[in-house]
Amino acid sequence: MSRMPLPTERLVQPKLVGYDPTHPRPWLERIAYALFFSALWVMVVLAYGVVPTVFRHYGWLESPWGFAAYAVIEAVLAFLLAAVVALILIVVLRKYLGKVQERVGPMHYGPAGVFQTVFDALKLLGKEDFAPRRVDWLIFRLAPAIVFVSAFMLMVAIPVAPGWLMADLDVGLLYIVAVSTLGAYGVVLGGLSQGNKWGLLGAFRAGAQLVSYEVPLAIALLSVGVYSGSLRFVDIVEHQYGLWHVVPLFISFVVYLVASIAELKATPFDLPEAESEIVAGYNTEYSGMSFAFFFLAEFVELFLLPGFMVLLFFGGWHGPLFGLDPQSFAAGMLQSLYFLLKVAVWVWIYLWIRATLPRFRDDQLMDLAWKGLLPLSLVGLLVAALLRIFLEVL
Amino acid sequence: MRGPTTIDPVPGRTDEMIINMGPQHPATHGVLKVVVGLDGERITRAVPHIGFLHRNHEKIEEARTYSQIISYADRMDYVSGLQNELPFILAVEDLLGVEVPKRAQYLRVIFFELFRIASHLVWLGTGMLDLGAITPFLYTFRDREMILDLTEKTAGARMLPNYYTFGGVRRDVHPDFFKDVAEFLDFFETRLPDYYALVLDSPVFQARAVGVGVLSKERAIARGASGPVIRASGVPYDVRKAEPYDAYDEFEFEIPTRPEGDVYARFWVRFKEMEESVKIIRQALEKVPKVGPYKGKVPPRVKPKGARYRAVEIARGHLGTYVVADGSEYPVRIKHRSPSFANLQLIPDLFVGARFADAIAILSSLDPVFGEVDR
Repeated sequence: MSRMPLPTERLVQPKLVGYDPTHPRPWLERIAYALFFSALWVMVVLAYGVVPTVFRHYGWLESPWGFAAYAVIEAVLAFLLAAVVALILIVVLRKYLGKVQERVGPMHYGPAGVFQTVFDALKLLGKEDFAPRRVDWLIFRLAPAIVFVSAFMLMVAIPVAPGWLMADLDVGLLYIVAVSTLGAYGVVLGGLSQGNKWGLLGAFRAGAQLVSYEVPLAIALLSVGVYSGSLRFVDIVEHQYGLWHVVPLFISFVVYLVASIAELKATPFDLPEAESEIVAGYNTEYSGMSFAFFFLAEFVELFLLPGFMVLLFFGGWHGPLFGLDPQSFAAGMLQSLYFLLKVAVWVWIYLWIRATLPRFRDDQLMDLAWKGLLPLSLVGLLVAALLRIFLEVL
Repeated sequence: MRGPTTIDPVPGRTDEMIINMGPQHPATHGVLKVVVGLDGERITRAVPHIGFLHRNHEKIEEARTYSQIISYADRMDYVSGLQNELPFILAVEDLLGVEVPKRAQYLRVIFFELFRIASHLVWLGTGMLDLGAITPFLYTFRDREMILDLTEKTAGARMLPNYYTFGGVRRDVHPDFFKDVAEFLDFFETRLPDYYALVLDSPVFQARAVGVGVLSKERAIARGASGPVIRASGVPYDVRKAEPYDAYDEFEFEIPTRPEGDVYARFWVRFKEMEESVKIIRQALEKVPKVGPYKGKVPPRVKPKGARYRAVEIARGHLGTYVVADGSEYPVRIKHRSPSFANLQLIPDLFVGARFADAIAILSSLDPVFGEVDR
């Protein structure tokens, strides 16, 4: 043969799996992702609406056995919901980055690539969960569990519609501050236990960053509590009829936005796992499902932190009800949909920021937290307190 | 064996961590290894190790005939492949006394500047990847793809086209070449504002780059730096102006310089260079003779005699080739003076005292390519 054969002249043509780049099918993509979103909605309705309503209607929560059954069922549902949220958000992130970066993103598994993360998760399940010889075994194994459990425990505190919640906590705000701080322990311990210098650096960075941004975040939450007069999420959302908190508490909202991106360890604050600087940071030595737990927790938080933002500043489940009784089940479904849609918009904004910005340096990160956000959050707290006094005098 | 390139722990000092950055580190642009001593995030000592990509380049070239060497020269700085052929070809042409036709000179200039843009686009993408922004990488590679497609259409290959030859270029351009280039330039100029917005004008990038890794004019000259690195330190040295080759003395263009010498200045200089390249190509498209020979008269067997050093300004700086010929088909000795190698000597100067994240930014602003450092 006088020349190299062209790809079209191959004897065996490679089979296209799922996607033919010459025939893009955008409608299929949209339907697939709409179905995905509906699946999430169904899960939310089941976990937050159906099960608690049924248990309360029949009075099963009064008996200890009924309460135990409720706890077990809700725990399983919350775990499934966390897994579904993470799987959806990972593929959405990859598709969205693809759109921003003028490429197609995952395309092969399922229609328009919707099952990509399912297969990724299966792959990670099948991989060896390797631990190097030098690790501190107990802590090394415990760390991913701490990180995932802290993300998953936060699921419990979210109300998605009036009366739709797993546990009605009187101190909801305090609970999320306490539990989300637990996740920082997991990250730091995971980095320190693996006997790897990059992991050590990642743990240093993660510890400094998460602890620093926890402070303005907590003060921003506190200012919402001061303004609405309650630490209970249901009361806070009810307080927003008429005016969403984002208007009076705009400063606290900005603080929450920045600090929550830092808590997520997302660009521009992704220093603990900055792959171009410290290779993989705190999860350098993790593989298989241990790595997957870090990864899943991160994406569950990507759902939860915008979720809390919507509850605290954007009126939670508020939206037009078209004459339905707000306490009815149909209204609950509609309101949980409003909640999910608001969260989806905020998740999109978080992803947008992640796709656009470069990374800060560690000292700039600390400067921003302690010299910028902390004073700003105190100003926000002051504004909230003054507004509260003003409203009480009126 | 323990050579002078290792770092020993200081006895009694426990707060310094010695860590190997590379050769399999995501931000070392290939196979650089830097042994750094870290005090927290601050770098106390830095020793670069090179040679992981050494492949006896110059020795291999001594065993090849002159026209075979051209394709080896491509493999030095593989990001701006075509540009590396030129200094060797210029030196051999001088030894042979070959006249290069005007059209061939202009074609060479057009491709030379296209590859400068392509190389700077790769640098921009990977540099921003090092700084944590993933999106510019995909954008710049998409634009670079158009340059590579143009090259493929004319020269047959994409990254390492082996297109220049003694006395001109290897074959004539494809019929729509000048139209395609003009179209690409129009498109590229619509993309530049995006790059400014994503990189130079981004406040996060400015926070990372301004005042970081400052290289003084004296230090840059002493270390033999060249290219955008030295121009960002305020030295207006550019081979295209200093010793014009091909048709470079017939174009109007500026040498962007900046006095600061920090990472931001090096990024800025490369941005402006892309714009200057667009200007040069536009002038060349106007002036190039539309018909005429694309190659001068060259003897069928290339047997130069004598010794000659020629230099060009590739995307990374001053690339020179010294050819010693004895009148046979094979050269006696070929020596390449490569810009990245000299620029890389700045690592200990710039790294020590910087923060670890700054070191990554500094390295990406030096823009080394290891095919050319190690040879």
